[in-house]
Amino acid sequence: MDADKLKIQKIESFLKQFQSYIALIIIVVVATLINIKDGENVFLSVPNLMNVLRAVSETGIIAIGMTMILILGDIDLSVGSIVGLVSTGCASLMVRNGLGMFPAVLLSLLIGALYGLFNGLCVTKLKLQAFIVTLASMNIARGLARFWSNGVGIPLAYGEGEGFAPPAFGLLQEKAFGVIPAPVIIFISLLLIFQCVLSKTSFGRKVYAIGGNKNASYLAGIPVDRIKIIAFMLCSMLSAVAAMIHAAQISQGGPNEGIGYELNAVAACAIGGTSLAGGKGTMIGTLVGAIILGLLDNVLGLKGVNSNLQLMVKGLIIIVAVFMQSERKSD
Amino acid sequence: MESYLLEMKEISKSFGAVKALKGASLNLKSGEVLALMGENGAGKSTLMNVLSGSLHPDEGEILLEGVKREIKNPIQARSLGIVKIHQELQIVPELDIAENIFLGRWQTAGIGFVQKKKMHDMAKECLKMLEWEIDTRTKLKDLRIGEQQLVEIAKAISCEAKIIVMDEPTSALSEPEAGKLFHVIEKLKKKGCGIIYITHRMEEVFKISDRLSVMRDGEYIGTKEAGETNNDEIIAMMVGRSVEDQYPKRNVEIGDVVLEVKNLSFTPPKGSFKRSLKDISFNVRSGEVLGIAGLAGAGRSEVFESIVGKHATCTTGEILMDGKTMQIRSPKDAIAAGISFATEDRKGTGLILGRSIGDNISLPLYDRYASFGFMRDGKQKKDWLEYMKKLRVKAKSPAVPVGSLSGGNQQKVILARWLLTKPKVLLLDEPTRGIDVGAKEEIYLLINELAASGLAVVVISSELPEVIGICDRIITLCEGRLTGEISKEEATQEILLAAATNRKEVVEA
Repeated sequence: MDADKLKIQKIESFLKQFQSYIALIIIVVVATLINIKDGENVFLSVPNLMNVLRAVSETGIIAIGMTMILILGDIDLSVGSIVGLVSTGCASLMVRNGLGMFPAVLLSLLIGALYGLFNGLCVTKLKLQAFIVTLASMNIARGLARFWSNGVGIPLAYGEGEGFAPPAFGLLQEKAFGVIPAPVIIFISLLLIFQCVLSKTSFGRKVYAIGGNKNASYLAGIPVDRIKIIAFMLCSMLSAVAAMIHAAQISQGGPNEGIGYELNAVAACAIGGTSLAGGKGTMIGTLVGAIILGLLDNVLGLKGVNSNLQLMVKGLIIIVAVFMQSERKSD
Repeated sequence: MESYLLEMKEISKSFGAVKALKGASLNLKSGEVLALMGENGAGKSTLMNVLSGSLHPDEGEILLEGVKREIKNPIQARSLGIVKIHQELQIVPELDIAENIFLGRWQTAGIGFVQKKKMHDMAKECLKMLEWEIDTRTKLKDLRIGEQQLVEIAKAISCEAKIIVMDEPTSALSEPEAGKLFHVIEKLKKKGCGIIYITHRMEEVFKISDRLSVMRDGEYIGTKEAGETNNDEIIAMMVGRSVEDQYPKRNVEIGDVVLEVKNLSFTPPKGSFKRSLKDISFNVRSGEVLGIAGLAGAGRSEVFESIVGKHATCTTGEILMDGKTMQIRSPKDAIAAGISFATEDRKGTGLILGRSIGDNISLPLYDRYASFGFMRDGKQKKDWLEYMKKLRVKAKSPAVPVGSLSGGNQQKVILARWLLTKPKVLLLDEPTRGIDVGAKEEIYLLINELAASGLAVVVISSELPEVIGICDRIITLCEGRLTGEISKEEATQEILLAAATNRKEVVEA
C-alpha cells in the first residue's frame, strides 16, 4: 500500500517536473497526426519546422533577456517598443544616413544598451517598480521611433549607393546550407550562450540569488543594483538584435513593429516554468515555451483556423500551461 | 474518571514514506496549561496542525468535551473554539493592528461596511488585556517581530477560544513582553480555557505549565505534573538520554582587541521604525564572546546593521579593526574588512530558500569561486563538504534545497557561509531562535570552537540564561543607548534586566 502510494507520487512528481516538455511532445504528436494528407505530412516536414523556428526566433531572443529579468523578480514591458525603435533606427541609419552594416548594427546595439541603462537606473537608483518604469519607457520608445521616422516605415532595398541598404544586412534573410534560416542560428547560439551564463557564471548565480532573496543577497555583499542594471541592458540589447532580424525579415524598419512582443516573451517564459515572483527559471524552459507558442500558431494556421479564434485558443492554452506550472510550485 | 476538554487518541499521520505521527495521544483539561515538549521533528507541530484542522490524520480520533469530532479545516476548528497561534506569523504587513486582529472577521454593519471605530475599540480592549499601549492604526510592517507576535496573541484572545495552541509564542518576545503574556495566560486559565503551550525554553515551561507532555519521533512518551518533575528529567525524556549541562564550559585565551566601535550613532530615515542609536562604544577581543542584551526594540539589531554599513548614509561613528579605522559603506565593505553578520531572520534576510545548501554557503564568495566569470564547482564543492562536516550540517549533499532543512541545520548553513568568508569578527543576531535543545547545544559548542580559534564573536540574544551561559562579557542596551557592561562572573538575570531597563544613560568609567 505504502509502496504503491510512493510509486504514484514518484510518477506524479516526474510528470510535473517535465510537464512543459511533455506538453511539447503531445502538441508535436497531435499536430503530426492531424496533418496527414494523402500520405504526405505538411506539418512534419523540414521546411515547415524550420519555418516554425524562424517565426519564434524573434520572440525567443527577447524571451532570453526577459527570463533573466523575471528571475531577478522584475519585468520589462518596453521590449516590444524597443523592437519598433531599433528596427526604425537601424533602417534609417542604413538607408537615409548611408551607414555600412557594422556601424549600423553597433549603433543599434548601443541604442538598446542605453535604453536598458535608463530602465535599470530608474529601477535601482530611483527605487521604482520595474512594471511602472518599463510601462512608461515602452511609450517613450514608441514615441521616439515614430519621431525618428515621421511615423512611416522605411523600406530596405539592398544595393550600393544612396537610398539602399548594404547587401550584407540582407544575409539575415538567408538560410545556411539552404535549410537553416539565419535568425534560427542566431537565436539558438544566443540561447546556448545565455544558458551557460545563467548556470555556469558567477553573474548567473547572483541573478538567481537576488531573485530568491534580495535582502540576503545585499547583506552577503552582492552588488544588487549593478547586476540589475546589467540585466536590463542585456535584455534591451537582445531586443535590439530581435529588432534587426525583424527588419531584415520584412525588409522594412517600421515604428509600429513589435507591438505585443513583450507579452509573447513573458508568456514563453511563464510556460517554460520561469516564476514571475523571481528566483526560478531556465533558458531551456524558455526555449520550450517559445516553441510551444510557435507550434500553436503554425498548427492552427495549417488547419486554416480563423485568426481571431487562434488568438482565443492561444490565450486559453497559456492559462492552462501556467496553471500547471503554479501547481508544481506549491509542492 | 476525570473529564477532559480535549482528548486526542492514537493519531497517526504519514507524509509519503515518512511517519510523522505514530499513534500520538494527548489530553487537556480546562483551566490548565499543558506544555507540549519535544525536539524539532518530534511531531508537535504536526499534531497541532491536526488539531487545528490544517492536516487530516490517517488514523485516530479527536474528542471535544467527550464528543467525537472530525475537524475538517481551520475555519471549522475556530468555530469549535480551537485557535492556534502559529510559530510562523500569519500577518498582513500592510494592514494595521486592528485589521490584523479581526482579519476575516471584520465587524460589519448593513451590507458589508466595515465598522472601523468598533473594530479599533475592540482591538484596544484586547491589547489592554496584554497591557500593551500602542496606536491600533500602526501597520504591522512597522512593528518588530516581537510586537507582531503580540498582535497574533491579541487575535487569539479576541476569538474567545476554549482551546488555544501557542507554538513558541515567546521566541521573539523580550522578557517583559513574555511576562505580559504569562499574565494573560493566567487570566485565560481562570476563564476556563485550556492552553497547549509549545516552547524550547525550559525555564518558562516550569514557570507557567501545570502538566508537561513529551513527544519523541512522532510518539507520545509520557506526561508529568509540573510540580513532580524537573528540567533534567524532561530533557532526558525529550532526547532519550540525559543532558548534563546545557552550556558547555570553555577555556580560551582572550587576546587583543579586534573590533572597536567608537561613538556609533544612527538616525533612522523618516518613516522608518528602526530604533535610533546614540554614542555606542564597545570593543571585542579575539577569543572573546561578547553578549548584547536588551529588550526587543532596544536597538540591538540596529547596532549590527550599522556596523556592517547597511544604513551607511544615516550612520556616524568610527569602526576600527585591529586598531585601523575602516571605511564601511556597505555590507560588501564589511565582509572585506573581516566582519560577518548573520541576521536574526533566517528566512527573510539570511537564506535563499529555493536554492541549494551549496549556493547558500558560497553566496558572498561567488566572485572568489569564479575564474574569468565562470564558477569552478570543484573547488566550491570541496569547501562545501568541508564546512558542512565541520559544522555538522545534517543533509545528504550540498545540492539539497536549504528550505527543506530544519531550523537548526539552516542556522548551521548560515554559520558555514559566514565562516567561509574567513572573518575576524562574527556578529550573530539571535543564533538559536526557534531551534531545538539538541541543536542549540551544538550551536553553543560551535561558538566556543570559533572563539577558541581566535575569532571575536558578538551575540545578541533575548534569552538571558543563554547570554549568561555563553558570553564572557555582556553589554546592555536600552532605547538605543548603552546602559551597562557586566562580566560573566557578576552577571545574573536580575542584574542584566535592571541594566536593560535602565532608562538613564550610564556614565562609563
